[in-house]
Amino acid sequence: MNDQWTNRLSEYLDGELDSTERASLEAHLATCGHCYATLGELRQVVARAKALADSEPETNLWPEIKAQISRDSTSRRPSRRVSFTVPQLLAASIALVLLSGGSAWLALQQRPTNTPELVAVTPPPNTRVASWTGSTDVAIAELQAALAQNEKRLDSTTVRIVRKNLAIIDRAIAEARIALRNDPGNAYLNLHLADTMRRKVDLLRRVNDMAAARS
Amino acid sequence: MFATLAAAMLVTLAPQRQSDTTIAVPAGASLSVNNFGGGITVHGWSENRVKVHGETGRRGRVEVSLVGNTVVVKTGSREGAPSVIDLDITVPQSMELNLSGTYADITVDGVQGSISAETVNGEVNVRGGKGNITLHSIQGAVTLADASGRIEVNSVNEDVELTNVSGEIKVETTNGSVMLMGVQSASVDAGTINGDVVYEGTVKDGGSYSFGSHNGDITVSIPEGANVTVTTATANGDIDASFALPLTNTTGKHRKTFKIGSGSARMELESFQGDIEMRRPQELRDRIDRKHKHDENENDNDHDNDYDFDFHFDSSQIAGEVNSAVHYAADYAAKYAKEYAPKYARQYARTYSRNYAKTYRRTH
Repeated sequence: MNDQWTNRLSEYLDGELDSTERASLEAHLATCGHCYATLGELRQVVARAKALADSEPETNLWPEIKAQISRDSTSRRPSRRVSFTVPQLLAASIALVLLSGGSAWLALQQRPTNTPELVAVTPPPNTRVASWTGSTDVAIAELQAALAQNEKRLDSTTVRIVRKNLAIIDRAIAEARIALRNDPGNAYLNLHLADTMRRKVDLLRRVNDMAAARS
Repeated sequence: MFATLAAAMLVTLAPQRQSDTTIAVPAGASLSVNNFGGGITVHGWSENRVKVHGETGRRGRVEVSLVGNTVVVKTGSREGAPSVIDLDITVPQSMELNLSGTYADITVDGVQGSISAETVNGEVNVRGGKGNITLHSIQGAVTLADASGRIEVNSVNEDVELTNVSGEIKVETTNGSVMLMGVQSASVDAGTINGDVVYEGTVKDGGSYSFGSHNGDITVSIPEGANVTVTTATANGDIDASFALPLTNTTGKHRKTFKIGSGSARMELESFQGDIEMRRPQELRDRIDRKHKHDENENDNDHDNDYDFDFHFDSSQIAGEVNSAVHYAADYAAKYAKEYAPKYARQYARTYSRNYAKTYRRTH
């Protein structure tokens, strides 16, 4: 469901609406659960983006960026605001987590050349909401593989506790997936699954970082 | 003077088992402690000095140095495996703390600066602190009281409890509950996978509050006169409140939105398996008090059971052979275990039976 305000939510969050529009949107938010939920999702994306640690890129990306800018400047179009759909927001949220997790994984591997690429795929707008989990699963699997290699640096108690908690998260993920199978468009279930998967990525990253620190 | 100190102040306390080092510190100095195993206890005092008391084993050592504006305390072992070392450190109240350990319990009391404390296997208990407060443990409960600032607290396998705190608050654990009491904040984000979440605190106009669990219940206090839009979501639980909830929207099967007052603040309450409860503050405080009293009584009873749990063996009933003594003790213990204390007795029965067998061996 979309209404006239749905596409203005990102402007609202960025503080770019004038006072009249802002007041109107806030009045609308109080009565429209869809827009309110979407705004909450957008806030989560922004919060996660802010929470990411800055890290240096593995290679110098500037030459490529510069070349792209030069190409674009020949066919420059007026800038426009980009509004997100719920699936896009979810995908962006997960992508941010994965990119962050991927950087930790790459750091842990300490292989500056021939490093595996970790690609967070953003689905097209019409993709069903639950389809983003594929790329997340891949990233989790890679982080788990890294942990399997590196957990020998940790003591057995820590390894046992970590495995126990990963199993708890896995059960939660499985239950959320089952619920989503029956109700794939449910925004709460999608966000809950996304958040639970984010928790797993966070824990894997944290433990991998800990193992790396002991190497 | 401090430059001179900074140049080369390295004090090796080993091989003494107990030692004290006191050094003067400049205003704005910070403390950095790394202790592999044992304890890190930090107290605040009004003097501009740092006092480090170390209790080490024979091989353990404690190094204290002033590097720039930072007092650095490191522990280690002269040889072999890392030693267990207890550190008791007294610092100026406003000192910034960076504390880390692996098998270390961390305790801080009476400090009013920023605090970062991280351990892997151990508890973190902090009272006081202002500014950035970051507390982490993997296997250990984390508690924070009487603190304010930007607060981030998490555990993995244990509970997290915050009391009388204010500021921007983010709390997370995986296998444990989250208890937030006496909170004054416009921004709270707390979640767990396997445990309950309880929030007793302010709901400020324009504030943002988010509480989530997968397997536990969410219970929050909403003061009378609060202006908050509450969005609840639960897949398999119920929603209950002690007061009227004006439903404004239902999204899908699971999500409901209620507007209380002007709805200025936003509150999200989400639990996949658990229930969601909204209570008045006093009602929730009373419930928490009752739970604490109940827990205390249970602990007392446990202790009573521990101490009362005794074996009154009549030696005339025991055959003279050690093997039969062991057998008899085990049977006797098992009987008590089953009859009197099903929860704890098996553990103690094994211990007591072993002790009894050893005693019997010595005396016969």
